[in-house]
Amino acid sequence: MSRLATWLILAATLTFLIGPFLIVIFAGLSAGEALAFPPQGLSLKWYAKVFTVESFRASFALSMFLAVFGTLAALLIGIPAAYALNRYDLPGAETIRTIVAAPIIVPGIIVGLALLRYFVVPLNVTITLALFVTHTALVLPYAVRVVSSSLNNLRADMEEAAVILGCTRLQAFTKVVLPNIRGGILAAFILGFVASFNEVPASLFLSGPGVRTLPIDMLSYMEITFDPSVAALSALLAFMSVAIVFLAERLLGFSRYV
Amino acid sequence: MTKSLAALTFSAALVATAAAAQETLTISVYSFAQDAYKEALYDPFEEICGCELVIETGNSVERMAKVEANAADPVIDLAVISAHDALSLAEKGLLQPIDPSRLSNFDKLYPAARDPLGDNMAVGYTFYASSIVYREDLIDIDSWADLLGDDLAGNVALPNITGTQGPLTLMMLDKAAGGDGSDFSGTITAVGEEADDIVTFYSRSSELAQLMNQEEVIAAPVGRFAWSRFKSSPLPFAWAEPAEGQAGGMNVMILTADNGNEELAYQLMDYWLSTEVQTRIAEALIDSPANAEVVVSDEVAENLTYGADLINSLNILAPDAIIANRNAWVEQWNAEVIR
Amino acid sequence: MFLNRSEGLALALPAALFTFLVFLVPVGILLSVAFQNEDGALSLRGYLDFFAQPLNRAVFLRTLKLGVLVALTSAVIGYLAAFCIVNLPPASRGRIFGLVVLPLMISPVARTYAWIVILGRTGIVNDVVVGLGLSDTPLRLLFTETAVFIGLLQLFLPLMIISLVSSMENIPKDVVPAARVLGASWLQVFVRIILPLTKEGLVIGGTLVFTGALTAYITPAILGGSKVLMLETLLYQKVNVSNDFVSASVIAMILIVMCFSANLALKRVASVRR
Repeated sequence: MSRLATWLILAATLTFLIGPFLIVIFAGLSAGEALAFPPQGLSLKWYAKVFTVESFRASFALSMFLAVFGTLAALLIGIPAAYALNRYDLPGAETIRTIVAAPIIVPGIIVGLALLRYFVVPLNVTITLALFVTHTALVLPYAVRVVSSSLNNLRADMEEAAVILGCTRLQAFTKVVLPNIRGGILAAFILGFVASFNEVPASLFLSGPGVRTLPIDMLSYMEITFDPSVAALSALLAFMSVAIVFLAERLLGFSRYV
Repeated sequence: MTKSLAALTFSAALVATAAAAQETLTISVYSFAQDAYKEALYDPFEEICGCELVIETGNSVERMAKVEANAADPVIDLAVISAHDALSLAEKGLLQPIDPSRLSNFDKLYPAARDPLGDNMAVGYTFYASSIVYREDLIDIDSWADLLGDDLAGNVALPNITGTQGPLTLMMLDKAAGGDGSDFSGTITAVGEEADDIVTFYSRSSELAQLMNQEEVIAAPVGRFAWSRFKSSPLPFAWAEPAEGQAGGMNVMILTADNGNEELAYQLMDYWLSTEVQTRIAEALIDSPANAEVVVSDEVAENLTYGADLINSLNILAPDAIIANRNAWVEQWNAEVIR
Repeated sequence: MFLNRSEGLALALPAALFTFLVFLVPVGILLSVAFQNEDGALSLRGYLDFFAQPLNRAVFLRTLKLGVLVALTSAVIGYLAAFCIVNLPPASRGRIFGLVVLPLMISPVARTYAWIVILGRTGIVNDVVVGLGLSDTPLRLLFTETAVFIGLLQLFLPLMIISLVSSMENIPKDVVPAARVLGASWLQVFVRIILPLTKEGLVIGGTLVFTGALTAYITPAILGGSKVLMLETLLYQKVNVSNDFVSASVIAMILIVMCFSANLALKRVASVRR
């Protein structure tokens, strides 16, 4: 194929994929009152307004909390599971794998509804706890998969050598295995963080008075407001996700693990 | 770094929980004009009661469904919803009767607002007219029938059947077609025939205000409570006075059964019905008063559903008629209109 | 490989038990709702009632149709784009690939919101259409199947490109030029060489795009509204408007069966190749 055709196709594809997003960034810079592109004059006032909307602050805090602690919890149970599945000859290993991977196959909206009806209501747990549990379960498959793949790259005989040299099994794990899969764990954390932070369908039903994740809060704010602040918020969030991934890539070579 | 970030987020979560330990009242309200409500009602009330208001927003039918789903352990203490959704909850035994003696402002209400559902299950806090809001620079509206006319094809939105405004619109379309406004089956079929020319069926008035400001739609039926969003727009919106008259209704306050927070709920209810608050909300051009002592300027009155004469002229659908027929309407609507 | 099985189980069980108890059990109960009649006896009435309603059938077919259309279209664009990317010099290849991946990191709410700005009556597309005199009045683009289609395509196209790029990287560099020199047309090159060698990537990408399009909520909600219902938005309505949990359970089962079959097909093709 000619070079011209190649670049034309790529330019068209990338315009379709990224162009809309650039438009959002600029729409948020409008000095006018209504969402429009091209913007009517330039101003940062809508970007500033985002920080004054009270519900955004509360929902941002909740989403941060879920993304950080939900992912940490998933790693806490996911790393041992990945380790066991890799290093032990487990009875029912395939079953365990299937169970842990199930959240990927089940559509999020069903998860949210099921937990609302058969977890929150009968056990009388709070929406926040239900969200935490849901986000943990949704991130867990990624955690197990990414950590597994970095365990795969680490030869098991290193630990055996450590044990022979007098380490306990636990010491062998913390001193030999953990430092070697650090990058994989961080990659899993970042992947989980981004997935949890942007999650919508499962969190849709898991919302109560005053308890809403940021994307859900944005959805309802969009419906009642026609000023460019939602565009500004969208742009800010995108910058945040992209910056996290970019930094991770630069510092850790994140993409090796995913 | 990860550790300190974790500690930071965790302590932030703890602070949030500590703040929540203050007494709270959870209320469920319509989603429009929340900024104005905050100023006119929520903030002053929080100061008076020394408590925190937790607010859930949405349209009437969705919030009613939530109250029903959480019946065993009520999340919401006080809700404001449409009269027929309130009646539906009352019939399922999910509400507690309101004791008028605990409301110092009760006697100031218009008689129609005092006990609209019987057994003191609800108190009306606002009346509203429903008519058609339209772009006067682009179109003229003289009749409800214009909604389905050629001039508006591709530029009109209708309220969804499940909401409060949907049945009101059907009633007026039926009257415009020569019916008596009680049997909607012909009207639903007529809407179905024009479905391709209707941009969307909206379910919240806040959503409609957005669509019209975005110029997706140039005319649609809506309740007067949403008018301030149109009036403040740079686009030239007008309120129609169709030949068939305006439709209308009442929104009510309810207390969920056994919520355990009655003390604060009554306090808010009484405050909301007071002449002071009803006047403030009226002057913000949101809810028209149910408190007969409220006096507003002519200019404000123009933009509200104000005064006994106007209220009495509205075409009203009885709450029990709506409940009795709603399922049949929805079924026919889904088959012929949404498809 | 360690042989102490109980130790291994102790490490793996917390994760499995957690997912089982807080995830699979609630989902299982939800799915069982539609298999019971009012007395709790086994029954298919929920399913019969659901499919008896024309609206529900229409929504089911629309969801299936849009899922297939989005998957097919993304395959066409995906092949063109992936072929171009693989043939780039290594330096620019990484950069372009990064740009393809980038949208996946951005919140779907933000990505869908962009289309309101673009497809609205006062949006760019209409500015161009009216400006060029193609139409006197702005076109109605929002709340149509087309809008939902475009939104879904943009959301999931990167997944297709990524899978195709990774499977095309395994095609030896000089095969395509060699075939061209020997007189094969581009169509022949595609059907005889590229397609067979990238079948796996196509199936993986197709599955991801198809299941993604089936289970997206935001796009049909924002760009389709109440007129262009899809299974996800219909489920939301059944729950939040009519408290109809039997229908919700039926929709849940349909979605899971559709996603599961797509995944199964994927596994089968992938294992045949191995």
